[in-house]
Amino acid sequence: MASLKIKYTKTERARQKKILKVSERMLPLFEAMEKSLMATILSISEKIEEIRAAIEKNRRAVKPWLDVMGDEWVDVSQFISVNKTITHPVDVTGIRVQQFERVDFNEIPVNEVTPLWVDDALIHMREQLQLLAEIKCLEEQIKLLEEELLDVRARVKLFENRRIPNAKTAIRNIGQKLQDDERLTIATAKVVKTSAVKR
Amino acid sequence: MLNEVYLMSSLPSLSFNQTPPMALEEFRNMAKSELSARSFKVLDQVSMRDMVGKGRKTKLKSLSKMHSGLLKDISEIRNSRTEKRQASLAHLPAAVLELNPLDREMQIIQWQWENLDAIVSGKSFTLTEVIIYKLKLQSLFRMHSFSNERGEQVLDSVVNPHNKKED
Repeated sequence: MASLKIKYTKTERARQKKILKVSERMLPLFEAMEKSLMATILSISEKIEEIRAAIEKNRRAVKPWLDVMGDEWVDVSQFISVNKTITHPVDVTGIRVQQFERVDFNEIPVNEVTPLWVDDALIHMREQLQLLAEIKCLEEQIKLLEEELLDVRARVKLFENRRIPNAKTAIRNIGQKLQDDERLTIATAKVVKTSAVKR
Repeated sequence: MLNEVYLMSSLPSLSFNQTPPMALEEFRNMAKSELSARSFKVLDQVSMRDMVGKGRKTKLKSLSKMHSGLLKDISEIRNSRTEKRQASLAHLPAAVLELNPLDREMQIIQWQWENLDAIVSGKSFTLTEVIIYKLKLQSLFRMHSFSNERGEQVLDSVVNPHNKKED
């Protein structure tokens, strides 16, 4: 605060008052944005947890027959792999993020000699891959939103700890200085007037 | 004939779902040393895994019949799933429809095993018995490969391929 260099003028006081007014108007907006971002991040995290629970549920459902995937006669990995994840851009709390749509798979159809269990394994794998891709997408959203949240928090802190207090201090100091100057002027005028009367 | 007798007498007996008592390569070497070149060629061509490709070429029509019956039923199960209707099985027991994929596969292998037993019935110490022995041994190895650890690895390699690469 000591290093704050301001001109002790009425113009400067008016400028500082304007800064204070704008800052006091902006601060609630940034605070609301911060809350909104935090709520969105929380809801996305909850969604991720829900998807993880679904993945775990699927894993548990498969556990009783997981052994058959060890079948040395079949390389199930040749039947399915992820080509790409299809997303579309959406605005979440004013931030442009990619919304998960679906997964595009590279798939080789089973043939007549493919063991039946492969069909079931592919259904399970397709579902798990979709869910995992959705989690990846949501994590990417959280990453972007967290970057924005850091930025917004920095702004809130800037307004709360620097701009508003600085402007208030500057207005108070300028006011005191202007009052002092005014008193000095009046006192000087009085002294001059008294001297003139004496003479 | 004597060769088949000697070979079959020196092979350990097989029972469904047991741990394979010998390696396939060991069986192959024993068969090669005991059988005539012609018989061994026939034996070498038959495989449980490539039944469609090579089985039909063998003289074992009953084997081909068993396999084509199995394929028809598998195809019927697949079609019934697509068409969302009850499957009507001609060969496999209807119980396979209610089982989980592991138990269903085991049931199918058991059905094959029983059919192999029926094929070999009354054909002791013949090339047919040797062929059936090989197919049963292959089935045992296949069943033996159904393991939780391996299954988990296979599933992870598809579902989490990046994790696998990182490891």
